[in-house]
Formats: sequence, structure tokens, C-alpha cells
Amino acid sequence: MKLSRPPAREPMETIVAMIDVVFFLLVFFMLIGRMDANAPFEVVPPLGLSGIELPGGGVMVAVGADGQTALNGVEMGEDAIVAALAAMAAERDPPVRVNAHHAAALGHVLPLLGRLEDLGLGDVALVVTQTPP
Amino acid sequence: MELTRRPPARSLISLVPLVDVLLIMLVFFMVTSTYLDLDMIPAVERAEEEAAEAAAAPGAASGALLIRLAPDGRAWLRGRPLSEAELRAVLAERAAAGPAGEVSVLASPRAEVQALVALMDLAADTGLARLRVLRTEAGP
Repeated sequence: MKLSRPPAREPMETIVAMIDVVFFLLVFFMLIGRMDANAPFEVVPPLGLSGIELPGGGVMVAVGADGQTALNGVEMGEDAIVAALAAMAAERDPPVRVNAHHAAALGHVLPLLGRLEDLGLGDVALVVTQTPP
Repeated sequence: MELTRRPPARSLISLVPLVDVLLIMLVFFMVTSTYLDLDMIPAVERAEEEAAEAAAAPGAASGALLIRLAPDGRAWLRGRPLSEAELRAVLAERAAAGPAGEVSVLASPRAEVQALVALMDLAADTGLARLRVLRTEAGP
């Protein structure tokens, strides 16, 4: 009787190297990116060289080029933003960052800053970038 | 003779789902993150700073210089537009006056944010300590 050996399986390609690469990429993008400046519309902050480093955290108010506004990535009107921040300000004084598009009209931004100041918020800042778009 | 079967080889834990999860997380972070180097310019004066500066420079506000920011982003002073060099000279002169050299900016609502930030940059570059942005209240 002739016994034949089953054909040897081809070894599976190792995916350990791929996991390593993907993991390194994941850590890289987590480190260099920041997720607190999101907006449901395009916001390119103005180019400014005199700013100080923006720490993480805080409340992000975005103002788009056409005056649309968002709070923490959720699009809502200016009145709703002020009401939400007033409720927050009653409990604590949250740092508020206004991320306005560089081409947004000051007629949309300055009144909003004024209303935030009227709420008694002590830490309101305008977001700028040193990186040209 | 007793024949025993070899125990079946233990199957390795499949790493394919791990790769799937990692790839999904990678795409998520790539899409949702912002990669600009962000800075900030404080936009609201703290009450204690305001009180300290008012005590240090009594009557400083009365000598404030008013610069208008036109819709096209140009700075106007006393009814005429300023070039960047003239604006720099004016700001440097006010900066040399110390705490009393306050500059107020009356910006057009149609001017862009970039124009105001550029003016702030220029003021900071000349060493101006006090730059105040005025806002107009809407009438009834």
C-alpha cells in the first residue's frame, strides 16, 4: 500500500509586520493631531504669529466663513451657543476657544466675543495658527 | 500496542480582527483630527488685570489712539489710510509711551478676521502692551 503525504500547506503570510506598521501609524496620528478643533464646516484659522500655545481641552466655538456657528462640533445658532455657555458658566468658568475662519466677517465674530465676555467668562481666546493653509 | 492520537494542534488566535480594528481606528483618527499647529490670542481681559492696569496708569484710556479697520483690511488713522510701514511707526510710537500708550481698534463689521489678527501681530511685534478692540452696539 502506498501512502501519500498530504501536500504541505503554504505558510500564511505573516500579518504581524502589518499590525506593527498600522499600530505605529495609529500612534503617530494620535500624537500629532488634535480632535478638539472640529467643526461641521470648513474652518481655516487666521495666520497669526503672536499667539501663545493653545492648551488642550475647553469649549470650542467655531465660526465659519459665512457666519455659521458651532459649539464643540455641533452646528447651532449663536443664541443657542450663548445659552449653553451661560449654563456652563453658572457652574464653572470653562475656557472658551473661538475658532473663526480667517475670512469670516468681524461682524459675526466680535459680537459673539462680546456676548461671551458679558457672560462673565474669564478665559476666552481667539484661535490662530502659524502654519499657512 | 496502544496507539494514542496526537492531541490536535492548538489554533492560534486569529489576528485578522485586530488588524481590522486598528485600521478602522487609524482611518478615524486620520479623518477627524486637525493637524494645524494651533495657537491662541486671549480675547477677554480678566477683571483683575483690568483693575491692576487702571491703577497703574490712571487716565491712560483718555489718551487712547483710535485706528479704524476698513472692510478691505486697511488701517485708517485720522481720516487717511496707513501703509504697513506707517502703521508700524504709529504703533511703535505708542508702544514707547508705555502703559499709557493704549491703542483702540474700531473694526468694520465687514472686515475679515485675518485683518484684525494681522493688526494684532503688528502691535505685538512693536511691543505694544495694550490693544483694545471696540465693538459697536446695534441700535434699537
